[in-house]
Amino acid sequence: MAEKDTPYFVGFLPIPAGLKLFLLVVSLSLITGFAAGGILVGISQDDPGQAGFRFDHGRQTVTGVFESHPYPMLHITMGSEHLPTGKTIMVSGQGKTNIMRGRSDELDGKIVEISGVIVQRGDLKMLQIAGGRRGLKPTEEDGVVPVAEDLGTWRVKGEICDGKCLAGAMNPGRGIAHKACANLCLIGEIPPVFVSTKPIEGEEYFLIAGPDGKEMTQDTYNYVGQFVEAETRIERRGNLLVMRMDPAKMQVTP
Amino acid sequence: MSVKYIPVQWNPNKWKYNAVMLIGVFAYLWLFIEWTPAIMSNDGRINGQIHNARAFGSCAFLMLTVILCIGPLARLDKRFLPLLYNRRHFGVMTLFVAITHAGYIINWYFSFSASNKYEALLFANTSYGQLSGFPFEVFGIFAVLCLALLAATSHDFWMKFLTPRIWKRIHYLVYFAYISVVAHVGLGILQDQQDKIFIVVFIGGALTVAALHILAALQERRSGDPDALSSGEWVAICHASELREGYAKVARLSGEERVAVFLQDGKISAISNACAHQNGPLGEGRILDCLVTCPWHGFQYDVRSGRSPAPFTEKVPTYQVKLAGDQVLVNANANPPGTFVEPVPLPSGA
Amino acid sequence: MNAAESIFFVAQVWATIGAVVATAFLLFGIDRIDEDARGAYIFRPLLVPGILLIWPLVLWRWWVLERDLDNWRNRHAPPRRAHLFIAVMFVVAIPLIIAVSWSLRQEWQADFEPVKISLLHGSAGQGDAAA
Repeated sequence: MAEKDTPYFVGFLPIPAGLKLFLLVVSLSLITGFAAGGILVGISQDDPGQAGFRFDHGRQTVTGVFESHPYPMLHITMGSEHLPTGKTIMVSGQGKTNIMRGRSDELDGKIVEISGVIVQRGDLKMLQIAGGRRGLKPTEEDGVVPVAEDLGTWRVKGEICDGKCLAGAMNPGRGIAHKACANLCLIGEIPPVFVSTKPIEGEEYFLIAGPDGKEMTQDTYNYVGQFVEAETRIERRGNLLVMRMDPAKMQVTP
Repeated sequence: MSVKYIPVQWNPNKWKYNAVMLIGVFAYLWLFIEWTPAIMSNDGRINGQIHNARAFGSCAFLMLTVILCIGPLARLDKRFLPLLYNRRHFGVMTLFVAITHAGYIINWYFSFSASNKYEALLFANTSYGQLSGFPFEVFGIFAVLCLALLAATSHDFWMKFLTPRIWKRIHYLVYFAYISVVAHVGLGILQDQQDKIFIVVFIGGALTVAALHILAALQERRSGDPDALSSGEWVAICHASELREGYAKVARLSGEERVAVFLQDGKISAISNACAHQNGPLGEGRILDCLVTCPWHGFQYDVRSGRSPAPFTEKVPTYQVKLAGDQVLVNANANPPGTFVEPVPLPSGA
Repeated sequence: MNAAESIFFVAQVWATIGAVVATAFLLFGIDRIDEDARGAYIFRPLLVPGILLIWPLVLWRWWVLERDLDNWRNRHAPPRRAHLFIAVMFVVAIPLIIAVSWSLRQEWQADFEPVKISLLHGSAGQGDAAA
């Protein structure tokens, strides 16, 4: 019987001669397999696209009219090199916080000076402002908040993201694997952003509000990171487009 | 083997085993982390933390996949048994790699907020009512907890303390951990990933594990140990002529109790098939230097008394043996472990 | 206290009791129930994480061994039938999970053109719509 000739491995004894070659082949295959796996899985990661903090632009200091709802944004009246006058920019605090919250109502409609670093993916820009008075200098002066312009109701397809990670605070900063992170940003009141499959009025990225124009609703969190189809009213605030998204008029696409 | 417990009982084969394992794991991580960013043709740069998290996460998946292939492979082909020998070091290493993956994720995705990052891991996504967008992190948490429990109870003390039966039941959690990992990857990164290479590695690995297990289980069903033919207290195991010097015939007595009938020096002895250490199949072992040697970890027993040679203290139950003509009969009531039984000489001419 | 906090609180209580059990078992119990542990101390810290995790089981086994209630027969009856159960579970669950996960994968409909469906709204937009 063949069994008699098969070598018998005992852990604390030297490896039997008949098994040495087999175990050598298995060991080398395992090492090669792991090495090849590391390279293959490593290089096959999807391209997250160009995005990130624009430290190369340096700190940007701009003045403008602050609008608190649905999420903090600044209509710039005195721009900087990379944030021109007339632009409306979404604003976030450090990390996953929006340091303006809590005081945003007192700031609503005021002229403020903010200072921070741009996070940018293509046309999407967000300003992460520094902490304390370095980042935000309020004035008592009232500004003129641009009147919202209704652009009608649209059927759109795309993804709900947190605007900061999407803009490049995290790279990649969207998708299902990133969903919990995005939710945590949104809980921290980072402005949510909708990425549309195709531009509307020249814009690919939209600030998301609730159906009432205030904050995004709780139910919408269930759709973060997924591709959705939605019926939404779009309005222009300054030069930022805002979608009033109602989870009741939203569905997951195949 | 016991005598006195020490943290790890090293021997040259364990060093070799760990060397192969560590070289493989380091090669994977080093090439993934240090080399691939330079060769990738991407426009954008993946964050270092996410890149590392993916390296460690995919490595842990691959390690667990390999670990789970070892068991069925060793049942299908005994030449793989040496891979089983030091598998628990492989498992403990997998835990560390998996924890590193979790660390990168928690310190990146779940940090920088006003909340505690560990609590954030649990409350950031609460979409439990849907499959797409399900908080797949919980599957990862479950798997890490299972691996942690397995690693924490991997010392030989636990086997003796809990009994191999309970210990094994706990360690069967590794199978649920693996299913959980498959769900973690499937509902997580698989939803986003477009490039097919990782998808092929993931699905291929998981299906290989499933296929090997069913193949090994079918083989065990087909050519597993026969039931002993019962006629009251004494049960027939085999014909004396079927016994071979230095080897055993195994038969199932009742439930999970198996007897291994050995022939040594022309005499028949019967001991429990289950090694006192991890319940390895002694009957699939061989007699080396007059001692039955377990195929899994090399624990040894005197076939007449079921006792390990001094200074070791392991004992297995023994069985009374008698011959009825050419039939080898065993008394189904096992003797307490370590009971000496006079071996029965093989009838002349058999 | 939210659900996440409660879970961490329970885990802390569990581990704290585990620490007490570990101290008692490793200082006094282990020598009484396992002769191989007598005089062996360096390996004991290795047991701490396990005791923290499964201290109720440790207490139960300690009691069984202390009272000499252990049935030696149970030590030699490995649950090998579980192999078949696990194999079947694997062969059903793994392909199922992969199939479900695969079917959930979404396609980015890059060609979809947003459609304007109406212009009329109640408040801010009315002026526009009329124009």
